[in-house]
Amino acid sequence: MPTAPPPTLAAWLRTRDDAQLGALLAARPDVARPAPSDVVALASRLAVPVSVDRALDELDAGTLQALDVVLLAPGDGMAPEDVVAALPDVPEDVVASALETLTDRALLWGDDVLRAPDPVRRAVRYPAGLGRRAVDLRVQLPADLPAALGALSDEERGVLERLAGDRPVGHLPESGGGADSPARRLLQRGLLARIDALNVELPREIGLHLRGDRPYGPPRVRPEPELISRDPTAVDRQAAGAALESVGRIGELLALLEDEPAGLLRSGGVAVRDQKRLARELHVPEPEAAWLLELAFAAGLLDVGGPHRDEWLPTRSYDGWREQDLADRWAVLAAGWLAGIRLPALVGQRDVAGKAANALSPDLVRHTAPAIRRSALTALASYPAGSGLAPDDLVALLRWRTPRRADRLAPVPGMLAEAARLGVLVGGVLSSGGRGLLTGGEDGAAAGMSGLLPEPVDHVLAQPDLSLIAPGPLVAELADTLAVVADVESSGGATVFRVTESSVRRALDAGWSASDLHDFFARASRTPVPQALDYLVDDVARQHGRLRVGAIESYVRSDDHGLLAQVLSDRRTAAAELRRLAPGVLVSGLGADEVLTVLRDAGYAPAGENPGGAVLTRPPGRPRAAGRRPTGTEGPAAPRPLTEDEVAATVREIRAGDAAVAARRGEAVRQVPGVTTASTLELLSRAVREGTPVWLGYVDAQGSGSQRVVQPVSLVGGFLQGFDERRGESRTFAVHRITSVALVEDDDAPVAG
Amino acid sequence: MSDGPLIVQSDKTLLLEVDHPLAKECRAAIAPFAELERSPEHVHTYRVTPLALWNARAAGHDAEQVVDALVRYSRYPVPHALLVDVADTMDRFGRLTLANNPVHGLVLTSSDRAVLEEVIRSKKVAPMLGARIDSDTVVVHAAERGRLKQALLKIGWPAEDLAGYVDGTAHPIDLDQAGWHLRDYQQEAVDGFWAGGSGVVVLPCGAGKTLVGAAAMAEAKATTLILVTNTVAGRQWKRELIARTTLTEDEIGEYSGERKEIRPVTIATYQVITTRRKGEYIHLDLFDAQDWGLIVYDEVHLLPAPIFRLTADLQSRRRLGLTATLVREDGREDDVFSLIGPKRYDAPWRDIEAQGYIAPAECIEVRVSLDDEERMTYAVAEPEERYRIAATAQSKLPVIRRVLERHPEEQKLVIGAYLDQLEELGTALDAPVIQGSTTNKEREKLFDAFRAGEIRTLVVSKVANFSIDLPEAAVAVQVSGTFGSRQEEAQRLGRVLRPKADGRQAHFYTVVSRDTLDSEYAAHRQRFLAEQGYAYTIVDAADLAGPGEVNGPDWVDESAD
Repeated sequence: MPTAPPPTLAAWLRTRDDAQLGALLAARPDVARPAPSDVVALASRLAVPVSVDRALDELDAGTLQALDVVLLAPGDGMAPEDVVAALPDVPEDVVASALETLTDRALLWGDDVLRAPDPVRRAVRYPAGLGRRAVDLRVQLPADLPAALGALSDEERGVLERLAGDRPVGHLPESGGGADSPARRLLQRGLLARIDALNVELPREIGLHLRGDRPYGPPRVRPEPELISRDPTAVDRQAAGAALESVGRIGELLALLEDEPAGLLRSGGVAVRDQKRLARELHVPEPEAAWLLELAFAAGLLDVGGPHRDEWLPTRSYDGWREQDLADRWAVLAAGWLAGIRLPALVGQRDVAGKAANALSPDLVRHTAPAIRRSALTALASYPAGSGLAPDDLVALLRWRTPRRADRLAPVPGMLAEAARLGVLVGGVLSSGGRGLLTGGEDGAAAGMSGLLPEPVDHVLAQPDLSLIAPGPLVAELADTLAVVADVESSGGATVFRVTESSVRRALDAGWSASDLHDFFARASRTPVPQALDYLVDDVARQHGRLRVGAIESYVRSDDHGLLAQVLSDRRTAAAELRRLAPGVLVSGLGADEVLTVLRDAGYAPAGENPGGAVLTRPPGRPRAAGRRPTGTEGPAAPRPLTEDEVAATVREIRAGDAAVAARRGEAVRQVPGVTTASTLELLSRAVREGTPVWLGYVDAQGSGSQRVVQPVSLVGGFLQGFDERRGESRTFAVHRITSVALVEDDDAPVAG
Repeated sequence: MSDGPLIVQSDKTLLLEVDHPLAKECRAAIAPFAELERSPEHVHTYRVTPLALWNARAAGHDAEQVVDALVRYSRYPVPHALLVDVADTMDRFGRLTLANNPVHGLVLTSSDRAVLEEVIRSKKVAPMLGARIDSDTVVVHAAERGRLKQALLKIGWPAEDLAGYVDGTAHPIDLDQAGWHLRDYQQEAVDGFWAGGSGVVVLPCGAGKTLVGAAAMAEAKATTLILVTNTVAGRQWKRELIARTTLTEDEIGEYSGERKEIRPVTIATYQVITTRRKGEYIHLDLFDAQDWGLIVYDEVHLLPAPIFRLTADLQSRRRLGLTATLVREDGREDDVFSLIGPKRYDAPWRDIEAQGYIAPAECIEVRVSLDDEERMTYAVAEPEERYRIAATAQSKLPVIRRVLERHPEEQKLVIGAYLDQLEELGTALDAPVIQGSTTNKEREKLFDAFRAGEIRTLVVSKVANFSIDLPEAAVAVQVSGTFGSRQEEAQRLGRVLRPKADGRQAHFYTVVSRDTLDSEYAAHRQRFLAEQGYAYTIVDAADLAGPGEVNGPDWVDESAD
């Protein structure tokens, strides 16, 4: 370019072509919403500290090191070649692409000389891990620095060298031996600066001196950890094993909670007592029970409900979930986990007050969690199928990729362990289901896992020791029935049920007859029903029958014979069709609920009884929590990326706004009063004739004013028709509503991209 | 999806489908590291315990083999976490080793310093350790070898015992295999034991455990101490040893309440060893009386707790435990494993039965309805009396009689727990009664007569539960027991499992009072037997057909074939 290099960021931005501006907006979407009116507005948005921090947070360590080089340059800017030269250990193309990334994001600007905008300087507190300059720290350095450093004891030098590493700030040892501690001696000699009561900072000059020929520290090249390789089919099989286990366990957990909900603590969450109970009944360790609770919640299968909203109950989606295929069921869990904003690994961890966090407690919410999970898994997904990383290596890689967010990586090992429990990950390698989950969400996960999970079986094997073995996951209907007539003894790929006296009694209580049970066993079992099982059913049924036998629908009983006589002779109870069966017992051919209603309507106070004789207190339906809608896969932390169309439109708007401003700055703007004047019309017709864009002040029918740049097409009958560049639409303007007009100068118009 | 015979459960039980073509192969692959828990008709249950995994390591299997066996035969994908857990558990074995140091004697060494530190700091272990030799080695008091191993096992760092065994005083012993041969499974059991050094062999009653003991002695060729449950069992051991080995009567001593002989092979009863006078065990000298090269524990599941403690001191001698079942009512199976040694051999009963070495048995539960008077007595009885009342009900007598009448030509045992009931039965059935107070001489006389077929029916009390050998008892009728003890069940079943000369079927009847505690206990028995793989039939007393009638016993007059 023959002209002088642009003097400001805004001017430089104006020299960027549309594609480059588009790239900037795409990389820093926060500045694009709402669309900045012009380049100056864009430049000032780019200077907002939050935006700068966000942009820097997304850079990897290598790119940040290139930025550090520029920031540490003695002058105001630095030529790209000098940056490359300053990092001799880093390949040239890596540095070049780092600089490109930085200029793309306007974290550096300029073409021949790269400059850092002030907000960027402020955002990087310790470039290359070096402290501030001695002047800024108000420290008087010794005149002969090398000599002063040479005279230090090993201990003191050790302190300085530590501070010359990644972080120039350190804690003063508490009280210690007063002047005796090496840090205090260094302070006295002016080799350290005190920044507050507790912390000291190493002046930049000393840091640079100590680093010698590597002023920017070791090269931050991308770590190339050793890949773990596993047979992808074996990985998928093991993942399927974990998936089967997870789905089975969640099903058992929710079935338990259906029978006996866990109470909601006042502080939120599940009481340790409930967690222990569930662990005991599921035969799992307590942390495992906590994880299952968290997983069920994340998948939307468990929530707070009950009549007083104080119980953890399965949600309505649970009913649908258990009817689904195993792969779909797993996908719901995996997707729920990926999008969950809670950190299950924190259950049981003690906070500063020493209180352990309960499962499902609100203290576990971390809104960054989904983004971290996704970034960790995405890093693994970049390797081919069957390859992955050990957790430590993955954390190191993530640390390199986003060093400014390294503090957020603490939950990653816990998340990887959870992914392994789910079957998303097997020994550091993503399973097909896991890849599907990342790329295709729930459907992708189900597709990745389908075919690996066994088909549900619809039969059991009855054995002479009264165990029933379901040799695979059961179809929901059979599972429901078996839950009534038998107790689960062991679960996993198969389920071992045991029929006991109490389980048969339970079935009888639930309304089964002995012959129902015989039929059921004969139908469900693929092996002949053992004689002992038939005997057991008959034995229990005989005992059961002794207590209550009869082909009636319901009965009314009372110790108060007078009351029964009254009920029987009461005309209002005729609808209940009662008759006396024995002293103290009336029976009816109608259902118990009908009889109850009739009696209640007649002013009596009857209580329902179940077949076992207990007063019915629980509602007949299965209790369900209302549940919430599953959250989307995008956490609130990550703004929606801009689509290509949006980027293009925004660039167009900025250009237009810029053109308008330039026009205002260039040609004298002719303010036109509210009335239409000849000069306005003249200006407009000239613009139509020459095809020049015009800058319009306009008041619409609602009375709100706006300013826009319009490419006029025609001027007919008091209406100007034209194309509004910023809004990207053709429209008609009433001339009498135009408040001001200016021609937009051609020479300052942007070069068409 | 493969179609293997094995299903791996979350609780580390393994379900093996028996009818699957690969079932046999799979069983062989998982047997080293999984304990057979139940073997009913269709699906057998194995359990993978840390102890079983460590025993597998001790026997030279590594985690890779275990994981491979699980993955290869599993029908469904095995969760990675479970495999990792298996590998981790196995990895704990062998970090610590017990070895003989030429200078310091018995030492505990470690390849992992952190583990050694943890162990040394453990309160339970520390007292058994002596001086620290270097950072990886610490001296062990020789007498604590057994207890140390036990304690290490409890804290999850099992030690590999490489300290070896003393040979003991050599004494020539050989099998005298004239007219008989050691069966394959017996040979396998002996080989397994000898290769492992010490351990337990699990074989069903009647499968010839005595011969396994004799063969082990022939391997050791050294002085041997045999510990048995009672004198009768001891005499039987002696008879067998004289018949099957080169040992002569003079070389075998009996150390019991009656006699105190110490010879190159000495047979002692648990009772005499645990006899105390003024709180002291007075016969402990026996263990030092000879430089024993081998100690055999018969019926190891009955080993009394004091002998456990004594055994801890005998870790440098080879130990062989023999039993039909490792089920201990006191739940101390782990102590058996850690003190005597891991299980070296076991085979499902049904397998050996299928090979024709033990008689197939039919288990029949006969249900008797109590009459009204008995029901009322039962209903108003104190809870602790109830079982006795139900078990000794008079209504059982005619049923017992009818059961016996079904098998007129066979040797029959009536087994009970209550002496007055047994006396009554003896009188009613006109059969001799053997009980605790019967002298050994009288017992032997009656047994001989029974063996010879002069007596067809014997009424026996609990004393007959263990180690008497009645080769021709083909029918056992159980009338009362010890609250459904599984161990007792195994022993009583053993009475009728000895192979019959002509391969006839054995019958095991249990007469039970319906709808009482008796039938509740019967349910436990039933489950145990079904888990062992026995066919179990329930019959109402009224439906009990006599011989030759419809549904009657297959009364083939087998001897006529």
